Order: sequence, then C-alpha cells, then structure tokens
Amino acid sequence: MMFRYLSLATVALSIASVLPAMAQQVAGTPAAETSHLDVDQLFATTCGWCHSDGGRVAGKGPQLMNTKRSDDFIRNRIKHGKEGAMPAFGSTFNDADIDKIIHYIRSLKPDQP
Amino acid sequence: MKQKQRKAALSLAVAMGAALTASGAMAQTIDTKRIEANNPNDWLTYHGSYNSYHYSGLTQINTKNVKNLSVAWIHIPGHSTRGLQSMPLVADGILYYTGSYSRVFAIDGATGGVMWSYFPELDDALVSRQTHSPYNRGAALGEGKVFVGTVDGRLIALDMKTGKPAWDTKLIDSQKLTVGFTGAPLYVNGEVVIGSQGGEWPVQGKIYAVDAATGKKKWEFNTTGDDSAKSTWGNDTWRIGGGGGWMPGGYDAKTNTIWWGTSNPDPLYDWAGANWKTDGARPGDNRYTTSVLGLDAETGKLKFYHQELPHDTWDFDSAPGEFVMLQRGGQDYVVHPNKSGFIFVYDDSAHVKNVWPIVHNYNFVKNIDPKTGELIGRRDFTAGKQGEVLCPHISGGVSWNSGSYNPKTGLYYKLGQEWCMKLEVVKTTPVTEPQVQLNIGANFQIAPPPGGTIYGHLDARDPITGNKKWEVKFPEPPMASVMSTAGDLVFVPDSRGIVHAFDATSGKELWTHNDGLGHQGGIISYAAGGKQYVAVTSGFGGMVSDDFAPAFGGVYKSMPRDDGALVVYSLSK
Repeated sequence: MMFRYLSLATVALSIASVLPAMAQQVAGTPAAETSHLDVDQLFATTCGWCHSDGGRVAGKGPQLMNTKRSDDFIRNRIKHGKEGAMPAFGSTFNDADIDKIIHYIRSLKPDQP
Repeated sequence: MKQKQRKAALSLAVAMGAALTASGAMAQTIDTKRIEANNPNDWLTYHGSYNSYHYSGLTQINTKNVKNLSVAWIHIPGHSTRGLQSMPLVADGILYYTGSYSRVFAIDGATGGVMWSYFPELDDALVSRQTHSPYNRGAALGEGKVFVGTVDGRLIALDMKTGKPAWDTKLIDSQKLTVGFTGAPLYVNGEVVIGSQGGEWPVQGKIYAVDAATGKKKWEFNTTGDDSAKSTWGNDTWRIGGGGGWMPGGYDAKTNTIWWGTSNPDPLYDWAGANWKTDGARPGDNRYTTSVLGLDAETGKLKFYHQELPHDTWDFDSAPGEFVMLQRGGQDYVVHPNKSGFIFVYDDSAHVKNVWPIVHNYNFVKNIDPKTGELIGRRDFTAGKQGEVLCPHISGGVSWNSGSYNPKTGLYYKLGQEWCMKLEVVKTTPVTEPQVQLNIGANFQIAPPPGGTIYGHLDARDPITGNKKWEVKFPEPPMASVMSTAGDLVFVPDSRGIVHAFDATSGKELWTHNDGLGHQGGIISYAAGGKQYVAVTSGFGGMVSDDFAPAFGGVYKSMPRDDGALVVYSLSK
C-alpha cells in the first residue's frame, strides 16, 4: 500500500486552487471554487475529537445535529474559529469545502441502534 | 501543647533558615548537582527532582496542623485560555510559573509580589489554527535562566533576575506542521531537553536538546524516523508517524541517561484489525512511539528502550513523563505510568520487572504479562462501529499529570480514572497540506464503564508490586498532579476545584479548600523566609477537561475555561 499521496495531492490541489481564487476575488473577479473534500471522513480525521460521534452529540464542542445556528454563523465559525474553543480553518478549507461541511451537518441523523 | 508546637516550629524555621542561607550562597548557580541535592526549600525541576518523586521533604505543615492551612496569597495571570496547567518552580524563595500562551511570571514566594513577567509574542494566526493549544505546562531552571517552550515551536531562555530573553531558538516549523511545545523542558548538564507534540498529527515528533548557554541546538531524536526503527513502519509511514514526547522526563545521573516517554503513532486508531503487522494505516510495531526511551544525555543516542504498546491503536501514550526512580533490596527500579492505566516497573535499563494496572476498567488488552510486558489478548479494530465500549477513555486511565512517591511511607500515590468510550473506527486520509491537520481515525463519545459509572480514585500503592494500602474515590476523575510530603500528607487538587489533604498513612481526609476553579496542573511545596508554603495552579479547560461539562453537568456547566489562578497556602497559626 502506498501513502495516500493521491488523495493528499487532491486535497492540496483543491486548497492551492483556493489561494489564487481568493486573490482574484480581491481583484473583483469571483472565481468558482470546487471541493474534493471527503466530508464523511473529515470528522473522523480532524473534527471528531470535539464534536463527538461525528457531530451527533455534545462533546468538547456543541452538538451539531439539529443545530439552530444559521449557515452564515457556521461558515464564519469554521473560518475564524473561537479562541480557546475551536480552531480556525479558514486557511485550510475553501468556501466549497465549507459548504460541504454545512451540508453534512444539516444531514446528520441519529445513530441507528 | 501550643508551646511545644511553637518550639517545633522555631527549630524547623532555624533549620530552614540554615538551608536557605546555604542555598542563597548558591543562588547564582542552578546546575545538575544542585537539582540532584534536592533542597526541600526549593522545587527546581518539573517533577520536583530528577527521580520524579513530586515529594516535599518539608514538615512544618503536617497531619497535626494542616487544619490551619489557609490562603497566603493569590496570583491571577490573566488570559488563561483553557485554564492553568503548569507546575510552578521555586528557587531561593522566588516562584516561577507559566500560564497560557507561555506567559512567565517570577513572584516573591513569601508575599506574592510580582518581580517580573514575560509575555512572548506568538504567531497568533498559527495559534488560532491549533487544537491542543495555547496552554503551557511549565518551565525549567538552570544556569541563571528560566526556559519555556511555546506552541509556535520555540524554546526561549529568560534571565532569572530580570525576565529579559537571553535567547530564542526556533526548533519546529510549526506554521507548516501545526504542532509546537506545550510541555515543560528539563535542564540537565548544560542542556535543555524538550519534546514536541506529535501523536495526533501526521508529522515526525522529536525530542530536542539545546545548549543552555547559547540556545544552539545540540541534538534531536526522531521518535518515528530513527534509522533502527524505520523497518517497523510499513510503506514508509514513519514519515508521518506522529510520536513526539510532550511531557518532560527524568534523569539518571548514575548512567547520565535521560528517560523520556513518547506519544502515540498517527492516526490514533487503526483499522488493520488482527493484520496490523502488514496492513492498515501504519503496518508494524511503529517504533519508537508509545515507548520509554533511555537517551545518552550528551549525544541523544538511544541507549535502551521499551515499547510499552507496540502498534498502539488506542492512543495510550507513554508520554506521561513520570519516571519514579527508587532502590529496593539493592536493585534500582524505574516506575512509569502508561496512559492506559498500566504501571510499568523497569530496572535501570528498561527491562521489565513488573506491570500492574491501577484502573479497574480496561479492555484494550486482556492483560499485560508482568514478567515480559507482552500484551495479552490485544484488541485491534477493523473499520466500523465497535460493539463494545473501549476502556479506558481516550483521556486515559491515568492523566499526563503526575503521582507522588513518598520515601517515608514507601507508597506511591497515584490517580486512576474509570471511564470508557463508544468508538467508530474510520479509514482516514492524512492531511499535510497546506498545513498538517489532526488525524484521529475515529468518531467517539465518552461512556461509563459497563455496568458502572465514571469516577476517579487516589490509590496508595506499593510502587513495585502494586499492592494497594488504601483508596479514596472521587465522583469525577481528578486531573491534576498529586504531592506527598514528609509531614505525612498527600495533597490532591480535584476537578471541582477542591484541594484535599489526606493522611499519607491512612488515607483519612484532614483538610479541604475550594479554589473555585477546577485543577489540572501542578502542586508543589517550598519554603521562603523560614515558612513552608503549598502552591497549586487552578483553572480548567483543555482536551480532557472540556469534556466535563457535557459529561457531568453540575459545577462544570458554569465553570470558566478561560480563567486561572495560582493559589498559595501557608499555616495561619
């Protein structure tokens, strides 16, 4: 088995593509963003230590399933974090990635017994 | 009776004064010899001594008068994001301690007056991206300097008298690797040793030694990439194997050996199942993760090791830096707690002499062979939801904080935690661009042990055999360090915010005080001006204690996780 360099490269490319896109946005030319993020895997990779059971129950972080927070609030929190509570992922995930994460959160259902 | 107490106190004060005078004469020099001499008026290194006793030889505060212990002074460091987790140090009556963001304070140990403070300028953008941050667990003293690590990968030396930086050495590319330093350094023989975070991230976690005088890096030990270990990582996964060593270890002057514990491999949970030697995220034993290392202090070369959990797939590090060194029957022993809740007993070259569990609830193995240290009936996961909870919880059967060995009673006072977790193992892809991200390999949720409830306990045990003399239970796991004293006391700062003093022989509770904030850091004792003090850091929050509010409710629901205080006690009469 090789390293998952292919997937890593995909992630890296998706993020690398964000940076010039952001620069273009500053120049007033919005660019379409794409996401290659495997969001189902993301919680077990990075988010799940705080958002327990894939975000279904409260842990160090709040329960995400059935959250009343708006999409804008969630987007802002993912990008900028909250001191002492949540890291900022604005330099890691592009807007398309974050849209996927929000969709994942909205789709969360209780575990089947 | 009162006259007797006054006489005793006076004679003690005289003895302390003499000791203070003696240490005052050496005030300019804190070196390995002085740390080894272990004057009880001081607390010169993280573990209280190189042999990790977390023990105070002072007797002014004892079982007879501890009821008169009250607050002498308090210091509020401010901006205590995720609480206070550090171990104070004391030299010549001056107390040094660190807070979140590696803020350092020097304080008059008798009055609480601040002598100087130092707030390093950190890479704020990086800190905002970190998960295991911005807490700091302590400093080291040596050669007229205070040494502190930072979460952005630097080791800084400050002048002990002024707090002015003497040098500032960047050791880790934290901007890229995300990991930094949260643990305290260890000063030994003109060098400062510090270990990086690592286990949760796809990086190569390292242990560094830096010249104490110049700040120049002297050596580093790669806990995943040492040449002799690469063959234990299938598919070259050592390149992103995790490891590291995020708590300070001990030092054996007899052999000039640094003992250091390493962190777990990355990802924390593997999906290889029984075929972990050839399949999964990181096939093989994954040396030297979850191991105790004996490193030559001068060169950093590996002299010996024992991998406590080969191919650790439970996040049960060997990173707790407590190496209790003692002699019995002419034999040298080194006692080391693994995060799983098993206590390993070694000889002075890390040959296993015994292994005993301090926790009652464990099922990651059926047992560990006390003669060889071999894991018996290990539980390796395949991807998917696990039917049975995993015990202990990811926060460990023991904390990274330390127990205490009391040479007077011959007992080892150590906290054990009884908790478990529901677990779903997930195949994950390590993310290393543009910056390294956590790589857990699972979703999980805290859970009680089967048929029981979550709780913690202070055990008084024989450190070699594990035989228990007494046990005190706590409704929630206490997460702070423990200290015992020659005054026959054991101090336990608990998670609710209460400091307890127990009779070291019987376990009877003799005194309590509520600090108003949960504890998860150090407790020490020292003398200043002939008077004994007990200093404890209070302030809750972090990767373990952030779980307390949702798990236990009660006082934890409103307990701040961005506050802290150093509380110092002395006898009021």
